[in-house]
Amino acid sequence: MNDRLKSLYQTVILQKAKEETYLGQLEEFNLELKAYNPLCGDKFNIQILVEDNVLKLLKYSGSGCSISKASTAVLCEYLEGSSIQTLPQKIDLFLELVDADSPKTPEELTEDETLLAFAAARDFPERKTCANLSWKELQKQVNQLFPNHSKE
Amino acid sequence: MNIDQIKSQFPIFRQKTPAGKDLIYLDNAATSQKPQSVIDAITNYYTNEYSTVGRGAYWPASSNTAKFNQVRKQVKGFLNAASHKEIIFTSGTTDGINKVARGFLAPKLKSGDSVMITQAEHHANLLPWQELCRVKGAHLMVIPVLDSGALDYKWIEANLSEQVKLLTVSACSNVLGIKNDLKRITSMARQHGIPVLIDAAQALSHDRIDVQELDCDFLVFSAHKMFGPTGVGVLYGREHLLDQLSPFNYGGGIVKEVTLEEASYQDLPSKHEAGTANIAGVLGLGAAIDFLEVLSQEEVSDHLHDLTAYAMRSLQSIEGLRILGTASNKAPVISFTMKDIHPHDISTFLNEEGICVRAGHHCAQPLMQRFEIPASVRVSFAIYNSREDIDKLTEALLKTKSFFE
Repeated sequence: MNDRLKSLYQTVILQKAKEETYLGQLEEFNLELKAYNPLCGDKFNIQILVEDNVLKLLKYSGSGCSISKASTAVLCEYLEGSSIQTLPQKIDLFLELVDADSPKTPEELTEDETLLAFAAARDFPERKTCANLSWKELQKQVNQLFPNHSKE
Repeated sequence: MNIDQIKSQFPIFRQKTPAGKDLIYLDNAATSQKPQSVIDAITNYYTNEYSTVGRGAYWPASSNTAKFNQVRKQVKGFLNAASHKEIIFTSGTTDGINKVARGFLAPKLKSGDSVMITQAEHHANLLPWQELCRVKGAHLMVIPVLDSGALDYKWIEANLSEQVKLLTVSACSNVLGIKNDLKRITSMARQHGIPVLIDAAQALSHDRIDVQELDCDFLVFSAHKMFGPTGVGVLYGREHLLDQLSPFNYGGGIVKEVTLEEASYQDLPSKHEAGTANIAGVLGLGAAIDFLEVLSQEEVSDHLHDLTAYAMRSLQSIEGLRILGTASNKAPVISFTMKDIHPHDISTFLNEEGICVRAGHHCAQPLMQRFEIPASVRVSFAIYNSREDIDKLTEALLKTKSFFE
């Protein structure tokens, strides 16, 4: 396997894609996202329980490639316990991390090793939509539901 | 037949991929590569002989008009149509199907009537009918696909009636690669007087269709899947049917006399080709037909049969690989899944080896739902592919599999 592939399919991405911690459905939730890529058929359903402006619990179900699954699992992991106020900034950070057009290096954006693994998508433009699928959907919802908190 | 000599006519294969590999192009069902002769026909038109067709009484318009008309005659010969008037240039298969839906069926389809399609159709041969039925309150009847990928011909026989106003079917599924028994379908439809449209987009790079022998009423195809350029295709229709129809589009080039109040229209085929045509595209299509006709159809067919059978054997030897559609009479199109490795991950791995395959739903979501999978990998072969390409594919698939296991 060549180095490019190695960087895209790092152990952390493969692990997160297989990990079942955030897989499943919530009995109680008040925010539900349907992330769907009509071009490839990847489809995730993310359920979120928001209490006191904090994302208390997140679960996802659905199907997709390793990259989109791992990215959805990491969305749940990374945002669990986050307040609504911090969401726009966290989402922007992830989207910039996988964006090859960003002027910043991944390391300038974060030190989080799990998140950094996704920066390899910058070398695979055709896989960017896999990496940011669920995050884009969340961004859309957050902007609609909490316009006061979205970026200036 | 010398495959190397044929492949050498396709300039794209002279370069390496960004990963430094030879290009192994296995997405021919989406679109095929272009031989130099097609590229030259288009370049020559824009470089040396550019003008419109049909209108200008000067060189180069007159010579282009002659060439343009000659391609229509070529297509007539290619399909064995009864007349060149039955050949209407379109922007492609999708355009052709939409024209039949709007121009032929819409004016006569009533609430309670039916349109019959198959479960395996490309979205191009589903959505125009779905929408038309929705607007008219008509039924969309769907011929089931059996587990083998073959159509349920008994179902067709049992469900044809005078209520069905059009039966439309692809010559070959773009996902399963199963060739449909078109003659059987047209014969059954004929007994009830039902017109039949054939979507031949997937067929003509490897099979010939004789529209008179097949006895179909309409047939559509795109040039780009048979070595020609994008943005151009053909709608074949029986002369008396096309003749009855109002123009598909209204505009320049289709009229006899026009006043501010009314217009009279030209005869076939001009009547259905409003606006300036995709002239470069049509000339490129002519060069693509020339390219195909120089080859022995029997040898092309043998080569692609051999590749398909070889690929089926090679792929089936991979443990955990499941092929969709195993009925006999398979076109050089094979879709599969491999364990629970997602098709996109497979595609990325293969592409690092220079191999281009398609991953996804292949514009046939209802068929994917039928087989209960979100996506598949599809490989499809053309005349320039070889057994060596398939060996590299198999090897790369095994490597991918061992990585994910």
